[in-house]
Amino acid sequence: MSYAAVKTRMERGEMIILDGAIGTEMCRRGLTWEGHKVESEPDAIRSIHADYILAGADILSTNTFQLARRSFLNHFADLEHMRHIGAQHLETCAAGLIRDAVQLALEARRRSSRPAEVAVAGAMTTLEWCFRPDLAPEENAMRAEYREIISHFKAAGVDLMLFETVNHWQEAKVALEAARELDIPAWVSFVPDWRARLLSGESVAQMVCQLEPLAPDAILFNCAPPGDCTLALRELAKHSKRPFGAYAHIGRFDPPDWMFTGEYPPEKYLEAAAEWVAAGAQIIGGCCGTTPDHIRLLKDALPRRAAVHA
Amino acid sequence: MSYGRIQGHLSRGEMVLLDGGVGTEIYRRGVYWRSNGIERNPEVVRQVHADYIAAGADVITTNTFQLTRRSYLNLFHDIEHMRHIGPEGLENKAEMLVRRAVELAREAREQSRSATAGEVAIAGSISPLQHCFRPQLAPPNDELRTEHGETIQQLKESGVDFLLLETMNNIREAVVASDLARTSNLPFWVSFAVREGGKLLSRESVAGAAKAVEPYGPEAILVNCGPIEDITLALSELAGATRRPIGCYAHIGRYHPPSWKHAFFPRFAETDQVPPEKYLTAAGQWAAMGAQIIGGCCGTTPAHIQALKVGLPKSCPPRQASRSVGAR
Repeated sequence: MSYAAVKTRMERGEMIILDGAIGTEMCRRGLTWEGHKVESEPDAIRSIHADYILAGADILSTNTFQLARRSFLNHFADLEHMRHIGAQHLETCAAGLIRDAVQLALEARRRSSRPAEVAVAGAMTTLEWCFRPDLAPEENAMRAEYREIISHFKAAGVDLMLFETVNHWQEAKVALEAARELDIPAWVSFVPDWRARLLSGESVAQMVCQLEPLAPDAILFNCAPPGDCTLALRELAKHSKRPFGAYAHIGRFDPPDWMFTGEYPPEKYLEAAAEWVAAGAQIIGGCCGTTPDHIRLLKDALPRRAAVHA
Repeated sequence: MSYGRIQGHLSRGEMVLLDGGVGTEIYRRGVYWRSNGIERNPEVVRQVHADYIAAGADVITTNTFQLTRRSYLNLFHDIEHMRHIGPEGLENKAEMLVRRAVELAREAREQSRSATAGEVAIAGSISPLQHCFRPQLAPPNDELRTEHGETIQQLKESGVDFLLLETMNNIREAVVASDLARTSNLPFWVSFAVREGGKLLSRESVAGAAKAVEPYGPEAILVNCGPIEDITLALSELAGATRRPIGCYAHIGRYHPPSWKHAFFPRFAETDQVPPEKYLTAAGQWAAMGAQIIGGCCGTTPAHIQALKVGLPKSCPPRQASRSVGAR
C-alpha cells in the first residue's frame, strides 16, 4: 500500500494499526540483540514482519533501530582509530543493513495475503542513544546524517519514514526538514516522560508549535509505559490538529535486553489503547515488549474509526 | 596469595606472565554478552580463569572490565528514568557483579589442580569510566574520583591482591585513578591503551603518561589494547621514560562492535591472523626491549599464554634505558 492510501484512510477517520516490537520480539523468539540479524537470520526477521501482517497491522516498521554510521564510529576514538583497529566495512555497513532490512519487510509484505493493505515505514531513531537528549549532535552534523540515512531508506523503497523514540523537538525538526527535502512522508514519535512532557523536559505545546510549519504527517508517542503515553496524548490532543497516536512499551528495560513482566497481557494493553482512542488517537501499535498477540487484539477490538476530536 | 610473590619476581628481574583476553575469550566460548557473562554463565567465566592458570599465567585479571554503575546509568535519561522503566536493583547491579567476578577468579584459583595455582595473584581490573576507546568522554575529576573510588573499594573488599588500572586512555583519568589506588593501600599497576604511532588514545605521549602517574607509586607501568606494532612503539618510548618495571599486552585481530551497544563489546574479528607462535615472536621482542610483564589483551587465548610460558626467557635482560636514566 502506498502512503497515499494510508493518508486517505486517515482522512476518512479510520483507525490505523501499527505493528508491535521487533527487537524484543527477536529476544522472545530466542535470538539475541547483538546485531540486527538481518544477514544471519533473515527468515526469522521476515517471519516477525509476516506475523504482524497476519495479526492485522496496517504499517510495518523496519528492523533498523539505531542503524547509522555513527553507531559504529562511537566505539572508537575517531575515524582514524576505527580504520586502524576496526573490522572491515564498519564505515559502510549501516547503509547495507538498512537496505537489506527494508527488503525483508518488503518481502514479508509481498508474500502476505494482503500486500495492498500494508505500508512499510522506515524506522529511524535518534542519532545518539534514544534516552539521552543531552548527547544529541549539533544541528549541522545531524542534518547531513539525516539526509544520508533517509536517502538510504528512500532508495530501498519504504513508503514513509517513522522517526521514533525521538527525545527532543530540535532533532525532530532536523529529521522532518530532511524528509521534506527528500520528499517522503514522515511521522514523528516522541518518548514522553511521566509528566506529559518530552523526555528532554520540553513541553508538548512547544514541540507542536515548532513542528507545525513542517507539517508532520502524524505525531505519536512511544517507548514509555502505557500510562505515560496516555498523559502525553491527552496533552497533545489539546494542541495538535494533525493525526496522532501512540505505541507504548510493556515490561522493563533490562540492559542490554528486555525483561518481559506479564504485567500487560493483550487484554490489559487493549484497555490502555482504548484510553488513547478516547483521547483522539488514530494510530495505535506496540513498542518494546509487545507481540503479534497484542496487535491482533487491537485490530479485532478497537473501533474501526477514530473518535472525533475537536 | 598476596602480591609478595609477584613483587619478588619483579625485583629479581624475572619475567611475570599475565593472562590473556578475558571478555573476548568468554564471548568466543559462545556466551551471550550480558553482565559480562557473570549472571548466566559463571562456570564459563571461572573456566576461562582456570585455563589461564593452567596455561601458566602468574596473574589472572578479574572479569570486571567496564563493569560500573555508570555503564547502566548511561542507557537512561537519569536515575529517575532508570527507576521508572528499568528493573528493580539495576542501580546496585554493577557492584553485585564486581563482587561476584572477584569470587569467580578466587574460586578458579582455589579449585585449580595446577601445582603453582596457589601462587597466582588476582588483579582487580579497573577500566575507564566511559567507553575505553573514547578519551573525549572522560567525566570531570570529581565524578572520576567518586566512581573509581567505589569500584576500587569493592575490589579491595572482595579480596583482590592488587589493582590493574588498564586500557587507560588519557592522562587525567589515569592520574585520578592512581591517586585513589595509592590511597587504597593495594599495590597497583597502570596500563595505557595505545593507538597508531604508539600514542595514547588521547594522542598524549606515553612518556608523558608514565611521568604523570609515577609520583603515585605504581609497581609497574604498562601499555595494552593496541595492535602489536603500536604496542612495540609505545613500549620503546616507555622503556626510556621510567625506571619502574614495564610491560605490555597487545590485542590481536580487529575490533568488531555491533551497532546498538553503547559500551565496549568484546568481539574481535580475524584473530586467527596472529596465532600463538606469531604472538610469541612479538613478545620475544618486547622482552628484549625490557618488558618484564607480558600477557595478552583482546583476542588472545590460553593457547597464546601457554606459548609465552614455554617460549619466553625466564628472566629479563637489564634495561639499557633504565641504566642510562639511573646513571644521570
